[in-house]
Amino acid sequence: MTDKAVQFSVNGDPRSIEADTTKTLLQVLRDDLELTGTKDGCSSGDCGACVVLVDGRAENSCMILAPQADGSEISTVEGLAGDGELHPLQKAFAETWAFQCGFCTPGMLMSCFALLETNADPSREDILTAIAGNFCRCTGYQAVVKAVQQAAAEIRGADRA
Amino acid sequence: MDVPAYIAPATLKDALRLKSEAGAHARVIAGGTDLILKMRDQALSPDLLIDLQNISLDTIALETDHIAIGASVTHSQLLASPDINSLYPALIEACREFAGPPIRNRGTIGGNIVNASPAADLVPSLVAYDAHIQLASSSDVREVALAEFFVGPGQTIMAPNEILTEIRLAIMPPASATTFIKLGQRRSMAISMVSVATRLTIDDEGSFSDVRIVLGSVAPTPVRARAAEELLTGVAPSKELLERAAVKAGAEVTPISDVRASDSYRNNMVEVLVQRALRANLEELRLRLPSD
Amino acid sequence: MPTVPETDVVGEWICAPGADEIVTGSARYCPDIKLPGMLTGKLLYSPYARARVKKLDVTKARNLPGVHAVITHTDIPGENSYLYGHPDQPLLVVDEVRFQGDAVAAVAAIDAETADAALQMIEVEYEEFAGQFDPHLVMQPGAEQVLPVEENDLLFQTYKNGDVDAAIASADVVVKNTYRTQWAEHAFLETEGGVALVDQAGLLTVYSSCQAPHRDRMQIARALALPESSVRVITPYIGGAFGGKDEAHVQMHVALLAQATGLPVSLIRDRRESILTHVKRHPVLVECVTGATKDGQLVAVKARVIGDAGPYSNATHEVLNKLGEFIGGPYTVQNVEVQKIGVRTNNPITGAFRGFGAPQAAFVYECQMDDIARKLGMDPLDIRLKNGVDTGTRMYTGVVVREGTGMKASLKKAAEMIDWQQRGRCDRQPDKHLRRGFGMATILKGCGLGRGLGDHASVILEMHRDGSVVLRSAAADMGQGIVTVLAQLAADGLGVELSSVRVIRADTAQSPDAGASCGSRQTMVSGNAVIEAANSIRDTLLTLAAMKTKVSKDELELKGGKLFVNGECHTMTVRDLAERASNWGYPLHAESLVHFDYPTNVPDVTYKYSQEVFQFCTQIAQVLVDIETGQVVVERLVAVHDVGKMINPGGVYGQIEGGVAQGIGYALSEELIVEDGITQNPSLENYIIPMALDLPPIEMAVLENPEPRGAPLGAKGVAEAPIIPTASAIRNAILDATGTPLYQLPMNPERVLKTIS
Repeated sequence: MTDKAVQFSVNGDPRSIEADTTKTLLQVLRDDLELTGTKDGCSSGDCGACVVLVDGRAENSCMILAPQADGSEISTVEGLAGDGELHPLQKAFAETWAFQCGFCTPGMLMSCFALLETNADPSREDILTAIAGNFCRCTGYQAVVKAVQQAAAEIRGADRA
Repeated sequence: MDVPAYIAPATLKDALRLKSEAGAHARVIAGGTDLILKMRDQALSPDLLIDLQNISLDTIALETDHIAIGASVTHSQLLASPDINSLYPALIEACREFAGPPIRNRGTIGGNIVNASPAADLVPSLVAYDAHIQLASSSDVREVALAEFFVGPGQTIMAPNEILTEIRLAIMPPASATTFIKLGQRRSMAISMVSVATRLTIDDEGSFSDVRIVLGSVAPTPVRARAAEELLTGVAPSKELLERAAVKAGAEVTPISDVRASDSYRNNMVEVLVQRALRANLEELRLRLPSD
Repeated sequence: MPTVPETDVVGEWICAPGADEIVTGSARYCPDIKLPGMLTGKLLYSPYARARVKKLDVTKARNLPGVHAVITHTDIPGENSYLYGHPDQPLLVVDEVRFQGDAVAAVAAIDAETADAALQMIEVEYEEFAGQFDPHLVMQPGAEQVLPVEENDLLFQTYKNGDVDAAIASADVVVKNTYRTQWAEHAFLETEGGVALVDQAGLLTVYSSCQAPHRDRMQIARALALPESSVRVITPYIGGAFGGKDEAHVQMHVALLAQATGLPVSLIRDRRESILTHVKRHPVLVECVTGATKDGQLVAVKARVIGDAGPYSNATHEVLNKLGEFIGGPYTVQNVEVQKIGVRTNNPITGAFRGFGAPQAAFVYECQMDDIARKLGMDPLDIRLKNGVDTGTRMYTGVVVREGTGMKASLKKAAEMIDWQQRGRCDRQPDKHLRRGFGMATILKGCGLGRGLGDHASVILEMHRDGSVVLRSAAADMGQGIVTVLAQLAADGLGVELSSVRVIRADTAQSPDAGASCGSRQTMVSGNAVIEAANSIRDTLLTLAAMKTKVSKDELELKGGKLFVNGECHTMTVRDLAERASNWGYPLHAESLVHFDYPTNVPDVTYKYSQEVFQFCTQIAQVLVDIETGQVVVERLVAVHDVGKMINPGGVYGQIEGGVAQGIGYALSEELIVEDGITQNPSLENYIIPMALDLPPIEMAVLENPEPRGAPLGAKGVAEAPIIPTASAIRNAILDATGTPLYQLPMNPERVLKTIS
């Protein structure tokens, strides 16, 4: 089957990739675009390591066929930091030790980022619900709750300023 | 995975034409979360994937006597809909307990139905709401009761040239209560061991009418526990009767044993969950009926 | 032991040295490594638990365009075996597959699709035959052997101290139960993988997601018939391991493919392959008899342990040995007899998993404790305090418990945190189908490898003329945070800021052997090595400072890059001193080799490979049981850990919380379901691990009673203790809530309901 030109933007940059239905968005990101921040933990949508934002929604990129991403805006962990500064979430994750081995972290960050885009002051329950599809085997989830609330407070403070 | 061709038509008409031409060789894809897994496991090998994403099937429209849900509405969109929240709480509960946020953002109500898993999370609630679905083809649109749509695991009465376009739920009578309960091995990312959706309505004489007891994961398809329903229909509400109905429901099915649960546990849990769901319905109705 | 002046970074909440890389997605794990011309490697695994390989023909696969190599056992130049303890597991099978995960052939091709196609084209003719799946049957005399030449009982040992039978006969209360535990899966998020390449000089480099780089190097050299000097193993970032990457996995295979093709090869297992092929936690069947006086004093423990080894020995000896070492718990009981039996089957292979036998032992001894307490009408806390060890206690193994023992302190603290004395006041039956209960468990786990086993580590530390520091340690960091700990120790040891220290991750070409990251040993052993090396360099700097300031060394201090003379900051900095040393040719590098060997010539100590430095920990669970569905919700979990000294708080709390989460999974839902050797749930969808909404808030406390003799700054390991008591605490809480004791893991709803009814 001939490859189809899939056009989408990744972290604001327009991209065009030849890809057919044998490739997933995850593979396109990692192999074609060499954005290896997003990880493959299971290739079956069970672990959340591959979560990216698709038009602002957290989705498992291993469960999206490349052609389906045509016309979408994709956000990955590589696009979180801006102007050489870490995003408050990234800083908070590091400061609260919300990770240890770090393999779940890119997907976890993107799920949390998606949450903060719609909820500026999430409760513990909100955060746990938002990350209920992200699996962490090293650290558990309490530190993630702490990190998200810390980042949310920082963002609210900056917004007020 | 074989290499299916892919097309994302701009109109429903185009999609129907393509489906008509390819028949069973093509599969419609919306979110794709179930379809992609089946393709990976080689349970399905379509030659063509017809993607619905450019076709506007993702609206929720409240009409005078029903609500129309487009087949491409995602679980997250259902959760965010004020109308669904106020009118169809059992459907909201099913969405809440379904998978996790990334899959809810992607998986659609149409996909959950057409995938026809015996454990489909949304189906019991939809059947409890007497859902009807619209199956469109190039020449026709037919409406089918969801309760009659499923034939077996992964199998439906949908014809190879048809696409599921819409789900319609009637507006419920005022004195009705619904509940959905899922028994999963964990609170997210779980295929249900048993799921139950019930609806009780009180008619003008104060008796039960429109009783629905719908069971998931205990038969080749989601099923209504008809004998249990009959036991309650047209009779005055009582707790003792609810217990008997629950026992009846538990005895009506012969589930399988699998990695998640044994058959006997499932039978047992049908009884327990139906009992709880019906009690919850009764509590809610008693609270709402001024006469009680 | 080496001492360090008042700390600066140790004990503080700091960011991990690699944190920025992790949160920006630039940290590279094995699957992220891409090299020019890199091929994709895949392995063909047996679909059967037991079958003869009648035919194996790779010709067609080899001829497929895009395939660079297909390897079978005949293509292995060196030894066709893993060598964890015993060389009985082949890298590629010869004539028989013995579990569903035995590797048959290896392929390297231009991409994953071609490699998959090549696997399909390998012609294998299997003749399936009856496998051995029941340890009891396998142990019968005359039973068919799982491995030719080798006995089915690969371990059959009894340890005895005192007169157990007499003690039991005279006991006031005797409790006898049979305990069963399950196969458990590590489920590290990054599956096993490796990337190998041979350079023009013939040096083979293997990037390995592993716990033991030097041991990997030995195994790779052995399999490829290369001198170790031609092999280099590097660990990039590692996405979790928990013992499951202690034994080698694909390292030798990917190295063989690189050697055969002359090109770089990446071989990463997918999740299903990972679950099917790497070692699992040993399932055990334990019959235990415990005797006590009417006052609750334990007088005897007699246990018979049968562990399922799978077909190959891996770590079975070691795990069952450890299980037996701890079967009496952290208690003073002297009469202990434990028969340890490891049996070969065609079930999944078993090996190292966080705790290494201790979780299974704890399930036995802590459940026995509560059963005895109930029989005597004693408070579970009181009976444990009565029997608990203190500093100076001689245990049944002959080991004398060292200073800094937090066993009873952890019990008391945990009880205080959950308000144990007031637990009767809570609402025990919030609804007709709900029961609430509390349960505790207290455990011990040794740190290090054990008496008689060489337990040592080296490190190289170097300060440059500008005061910047490089630390070379081959201690693999799989997320447990050893890199951070060593950096902190180096920073404080040298008196510089943490940001001045650069740690080079494990690389056998750059760092000497530090041993495996296992057994909660790295902080202790490599930590001591860092302190020693730092002291050596520090001494040089202070000598120079003394010369310059004309003050004696003990009036000088280095801290945060500055020099302090009698507490006052001097204008000379560490950087100045380093420059001075560099100019004058004073050595600013040190290599330190530290042995953490427990003494072997102690006649009283009769238990082989026993240990003396222990992590103690108490956990208390509050559960809510639905007696109609059998579902158990853990509402609260208190965990108190005796760590000696907390060097990296972020890491310590992370290890505790993560370990408890694993413990809750082990207790309630995690179970590999195996039927006739075939795994029924080899996926994260059906192997049920608790996720964010399934876990309670975990309330943690850390006790610091420094272990003064062996541990760096008194810090013991903390890696394993958190997973050990959880299942027992939850079981005891279920017992408290429902009156029903459970004796099998996991305590899933169906099992709980069946037992209650």
